[in-house]
Amino acid sequence: MNLKSIYKLGSPPLFYKLCIVLEPWYLISSILLIAVGMYGGLFVAPPDYQMGDAFRIIYFHVPSAYVSMMAYVFMAVSAIIGLTWRSNVAFSLAKSCAPIGASFTFLALITGMLWGKPMWGTAWVWDARLTSELILLFLYLAYIMLHLSIPDRSKADRATALLAIVGVVNIPIIHYSVVWWNTLHQASTISKFAKPSIATEMLWPLVIMILGYTLLFAAFLSKRTAAELAVREKRTRWLQTLIVGDKNNA
Amino acid sequence: MMKVLRIIFLKDLKVSLRRWSDLLTSFILFVLVCLIFPLTLGNDPSLLLKIIGPVMLVAALLATLLAMQNIFRPDVLNGSLEQLTLNSYPLTLIICTKIFSFWVITSLPLILISGFIASSYYVTGNSILIVILTLLLSTPSLVHISALAAALTVAIRYPGALMALIIIPLSLPIMIFGAKAIEFSISGIDASAPLYFLLGMMFFTCSLGPVVTAAAIKISID
Repeated sequence: MNLKSIYKLGSPPLFYKLCIVLEPWYLISSILLIAVGMYGGLFVAPPDYQMGDAFRIIYFHVPSAYVSMMAYVFMAVSAIIGLTWRSNVAFSLAKSCAPIGASFTFLALITGMLWGKPMWGTAWVWDARLTSELILLFLYLAYIMLHLSIPDRSKADRATALLAIVGVVNIPIIHYSVVWWNTLHQASTISKFAKPSIATEMLWPLVIMILGYTLLFAAFLSKRTAAELAVREKRTRWLQTLIVGDKNNA
Repeated sequence: MMKVLRIIFLKDLKVSLRRWSDLLTSFILFVLVCLIFPLTLGNDPSLLLKIIGPVMLVAALLATLLAMQNIFRPDVLNGSLEQLTLNSYPLTLIICTKIFSFWVITSLPLILISGFIASSYYVTGNSILIVILTLLLSTPSLVHISALAAALTVAIRYPGALMALIIIPLSLPIMIFGAKAIEFSISGIDASAPLYFLLGMMFFTCSLGPVVTAAAIKISID
């Protein structure tokens, strides 16, 4: 791939059109994949010999946890690109990532708690992974609140970009200090399942669900980014002609 | 270069001492937070010995948060910080100096009194030194993280709650290992491992923190 085509993506009109065009494709393919994955996970996969049918929530929990972390990294990468090239497109991407990522984090927490209730007896244990996920939610919230509270948009973009970068550097440190704290605390925790070598009938729906969730994230992201770009570029001619042109056609 | 930094350091000390009521408030907050727990939990030495680590660190975090709200804001409002960004000296070093002077004036009193508070929590012997050492190693990190949050929120009128939302997740490793160090030394285990971690975090935040904070200041000012 040559650099010129990447630079072209930085132009708001092109990126806006790309988002509008790609969004339905992402959405349709993600719905299809999630439907297949759900069928595979809920009906085809055999029940776990220890956890019975309760393990099936893994097909919602793991994909949302995966997307929640991927979204943060994506946000930080967009932030770095935005800071480097002062790109409005990259900042819109980063800003649109935050609420979606926060929602997936919330979903991961809720499904984790639903899973925890039958498995551990309580909805919440101070397990390293659950705790890191909760902290991730707070990092997202800090990003969103900071963006909301700085009135100047360009300053808000750059300040929150710094926060996203600091956060992405800190997430591993936070995660491992929580892990070490737990292992220092009690040698054998009830919360950690010995990882069984997962059977293929259990694995393929999971992979498909992860793909489906990723595409769902992409669909939400393109929708939000298009809206964000439209707000930012509302005074420009290309957007006005685009929208007026659409009206004329209809 | 050193001369300029010394002037900034002394100027910040002087200005902070003039606003001594702010400093006193954060100091009193530290003492009061430490005071709540023995009063509400009752006079049970074994219980107090168990909670002193987290209590100390939470109190230090709250006091730092309260004090650091004002590290950059007055200087931004009166324009002196903008002048500092315009001169030829690297902003990172200037920020570093400012943070150091703030650490001296806000955290050193906490560290000095922490020994007495620890002994009132029935901590004895070497563990008192470990409590002081833990605060000595963890407050620089807390101050640097708070400075970054203060720089990011400098344009906001009442940044307190937002600063807390930014600071607390980022300072969790320091809180965890600080509390561990105190707990280990009280229960008679060698506390050097968490202290080394705190030392490492201190070097990490002290070396990278001012760079990011300077970048945040530049964003907020221009």
